[in-house]
Amino acid sequence: MSPIAQTRGKVSPPSNLYTVILAMAFGVVLATAAYVTFACYTQYRTIFTMPH
Amino acid sequence: MSTLTKVLVVLLTVFSIFLCGIVVTYVAHADNERERASNLDRQLQSAKARQNAAVESEEKQKEEVEALKADLGKQVADLNILKGQLDAQIDGLKRENAQLVQKLTDMAAVVQTANETLAGMRDQTAVAEQEVKSLRADQANRSKELEETTQALMERTAVIADLQRKSRQLIEEKQGLETQLNQVLQQYGKAPARPRIVTPQRGIAQPVQQQQTPAPVAQTATKDIGLNGRVTQVDMKNHVAAISIGSAAGVREQMKFHVTRGDRWICEILIFDVDTDKAVGVLDLVQTDPQAGDLVATNL
Repeated sequence: MSPIAQTRGKVSPPSNLYTVILAMAFGVVLATAAYVTFACYTQYRTIFTMPH
Repeated sequence: MSTLTKVLVVLLTVFSIFLCGIVVTYVAHADNERERASNLDRQLQSAKARQNAAVESEEKQKEEVEALKADLGKQVADLNILKGQLDAQIDGLKRENAQLVQKLTDMAAVVQTANETLAGMRDQTAVAEQEVKSLRADQANRSKELEETTQALMERTAVIADLQRKSRQLIEEKQGLETQLNQVLQQYGKAPARPRIVTPQRGIAQPVQQQQTPAPVAQTATKDIGLNGRVTQVDMKNHVAAISIGSAAGVREQMKFHVTRGDRWICEILIFDVDTDKAVGVLDLVQTDPQAGDLVATNL
């Protein structure tokens, strides 16, 4: 997508596909983090400290 | 967007999903360490409690072992004393055993002698049984004889009873005849003499006597009474007279006395009243008047 290519007249339409893929990846990571947090809290009653 | 960026975006997404799946899988299958720690803590506490209890129990058991040891020591001492006594008893029993063995030997000899004696007694018993059999046969014969004798005895007893009845009848007749004879003889101054017993009396184990010839009964059937007295009073009006002897001398009513004076026969007196020392009678066959002092006698 360099400007050289654009200047040569080969213009490609903007695509949000990779944005959606990134958003999905972010969502998956976020859901994983939320699940891990929930699991830690339910099992140890704490998230960041050591359980007593 | 360059191809490299796209490739990186896709790779980032793929690895993100892969890593997130691994993380979720791990977290989902991870153990609850807090609960596990609590369980381990409880197990530790209970183990400590068991340890304390075991220590206390061990101390108690040690005390009990000490007490038991002391008790056992006491029992061992008692058993040692008892062992000494039992040893003494064993010695005594050994001595008794030796004596008993000696006695047993003696008794074996006695038993052997007794067996020999028993064999002899068995032979004697067999002989005695044979004798018993013969005696039983003899007894049966004697029983038959006894039955026959008993039958004969019963017949003789019936005959004796009949003879006794006849004897009683004869005795009664004899008594009646003696009464009549007394009345008749008393009128003539005589009394019946006791008849001589002709039949010998039989008794148990009497000596044998010589048999006497029996005298004729008729010759000694009477005897003289032999009463003598005197006339004491005479009543010629009533023809009665009293004499000096009475029932004490043997005078009875209806007795007849002869009155004599010297050699003369005077009369007869028939007695009708008798007193103890005198009697009164009627004068009969008077030849001469009687007087007081005349002799009276039953027999001339």
